[in-house]
Amino acid sequence: MQKFTNETTEIIDLPRFEEVKLNRLQAKYFNVVAIILSIVNFVILLVFFVISYFQTELFSNRIWLVMGIALSILIGLSYPLAKLSFNKKGYAFRTHDAIYKSGLISEMTTIIPFNRVQHVALHQGFFSRKFGLASVELFTAGGNSSDIKIPGLLLEDAQKIKNLVSKKINPDATDEPHNVVHNNME
Amino acid sequence: MNNLTDFSQPQRQSLLGVLVMFANTLQKIVRAMWPILLVWLVKLDASNTLFIYLGIVAFVLIIAVISYLQYYFFTFYIDEENSDFVIQKGVLNKTKITIQLHKIQQVNINQSLIQRLINVYKLEIDTAGSDKKEASISAIPHELAIILKDRLINYASEKPTYTEEKEVVEVPSSLLKISLSSLIKIGFTSNYVKSFVLFIVFFSAMLENIKKIFGSAQIQEDKVTSYLEKLPLLTSFVMVLGTIIGIVLVVNLGQTIIKYYDFTIRRNNQSIVLSYGLLATKNTLLHPKKVQLVSTTQNFFQKKFDILTIGIRQASSNPGSNIKSDKIDVPGAAKLERDEILKILFNTFPEKGKLMLPNWRKLALESFFLLLLPIVVFILVNVSFDLFIWNELVMYCSIFALFSGILLWFSYKNYRLFVSNDFIIKQNGAWDIDNTIIEPYKIQAITTKQFFWQKATNIGSVTLSTAGGNIDFLTGNYLEIKKMVNNWLYQVETTNKNWM
Repeated sequence: MQKFTNETTEIIDLPRFEEVKLNRLQAKYFNVVAIILSIVNFVILLVFFVISYFQTELFSNRIWLVMGIALSILIGLSYPLAKLSFNKKGYAFRTHDAIYKSGLISEMTTIIPFNRVQHVALHQGFFSRKFGLASVELFTAGGNSSDIKIPGLLLEDAQKIKNLVSKKINPDATDEPHNVVHNNME
Repeated sequence: MNNLTDFSQPQRQSLLGVLVMFANTLQKIVRAMWPILLVWLVKLDASNTLFIYLGIVAFVLIIAVISYLQYYFFTFYIDEENSDFVIQKGVLNKTKITIQLHKIQQVNINQSLIQRLINVYKLEIDTAGSDKKEASISAIPHELAIILKDRLINYASEKPTYTEEKEVVEVPSSLLKISLSSLIKIGFTSNYVKSFVLFIVFFSAMLENIKKIFGSAQIQEDKVTSYLEKLPLLTSFVMVLGTIIGIVLVVNLGQTIIKYYDFTIRRNNQSIVLSYGLLATKNTLLHPKKVQLVSTTQNFFQKKFDILTIGIRQASSNPGSNIKSDKIDVPGAAKLERDEILKILFNTFPEKGKLMLPNWRKLALESFFLLLLPIVVFILVNVSFDLFIWNELVMYCSIFALFSGILLWFSYKNYRLFVSNDFIIKQNGAWDIDNTIIEPYKIQAITTKQFFWQKATNIGSVTLSTAGGNIDFLTGNYLEIKKMVNNWLYQVETTNKNWM
């Protein structure tokens, strides 16, 4: 067996992932986020009202009041928090890898080299479709925690990205129009 | 070739195979329905024994019929024209498994306990790129198994690349054998917590059942308690503790020996075969190329005995479908054997590279959550519910603080990351110390993480995902981590080695 050598590279010279300028998500995607958040909030409020109306004896009136106030504060806060978290999200594609950053409390950056991508999927949820948006998901063999899903892309951009990544994975595969479009509520 | 056995016509298994099918079906049903069966047994009403016996007879008959039908519809043959091996099975849902002969990598002949009793063998076919569990014949006489194996392997070796390796197939060379004494050492020194929990669960379940069935356990319990009360406090405490420890040790030892008896590592073609087991011999195929992550585990006692456990995770690939990883444990390897195994897996011995230590804030944070917070909660609960007097409270809290403190301190002291050009090794653990080894080019994705309050102090974490599991390093120097991430990305993106 031949001896494998691996010279040390000056790490300073390597391109730095942390200095890449990230693209922000489409501004209209926040509408989708807000709509879904509103639906969730509405359902929570509905459940709360139904229970408090039919099962009033569960708690004393004071506790109901406190819970109601706490709930409305939480719902009120959920929108600015969603906006902040939306602003934190960003993505970039380099020659050899994809970068996705997210997280409000804990800032998380996931990097997937293209030569480790198993497959790419394009999702388009119900609300996203109304705004002409789509998301792209990159899967690796590293399990769920290492997959990245970039939401809030323009449909044509998402398709371009998907084709780009597909080509990187399979350089000789022809550009076949076999698009997996998943539908979900988003 | 052999003209007596014509595999080109569909044929059934050995008739005794019905028994194997019966045992398998019974096992499957019992495994799926044991809670119901247990309830049924416990609620057993002595007045209608006839119904119960009738029920059991009907149950056995139904399974017997099912097993016979399964046997009847299970056929296999070699399709000479397309050079496929075909298995047809299924009573209601027909399944036809076709395996191209040239894809067959390995044919195993095994025997489980039931198969040993009726003297038939199990033939398992391992292929490149399909689920090996599907392609197996569970009851076949030995001579036939040997001939069939020969036919299948010979077909495979018709390809020129395989001809040389044929010899190796016939005589697998033994690389390593784990001795019984090593197994005993491992049995005595590992899995304390797991066995203890199992013991408690088992014991309480037993007690519950005995009480239900006899309703007279009260007397027994009183006898034991009064006997213990006669002895001095310390003696009875030591006796109870000693009994529990003794049972846990014996259970551990028994489990280890039954599972890993006669652990042998052999080289076979491009792969390594591990075979082990006392009641049922298990064969596992290992491809060094597919190994993603290797970990060695050793605690204080095991260090004294010079033994450790090696866990190997390999990606089992089905191109196109999901990639699962399976874990294989090599118990009771000595240091020399460990080096040998690691050399087989990695071609070289993985040296520990540049050391990286966590920030002291890791210890502070963990102490807060795992030491201070539980004590505060405990005290608050005690204040509101008045469970213990203050003396007892202080005693329990200090015992907990001491225990937890020692564990936290050791897990902090042992938390290290070693990074070299070819290997990333992470060490962690308080009692059982793990060393997890991965090769940078097998990284699938990298995630860095930083809480907003960690920005000012330059602290952050990193997770390296591989197809065999993740390695993470928490609360380290974030600048250093980012440098390493850039280097790893460079390694992954420029490598021309296949990760699998």
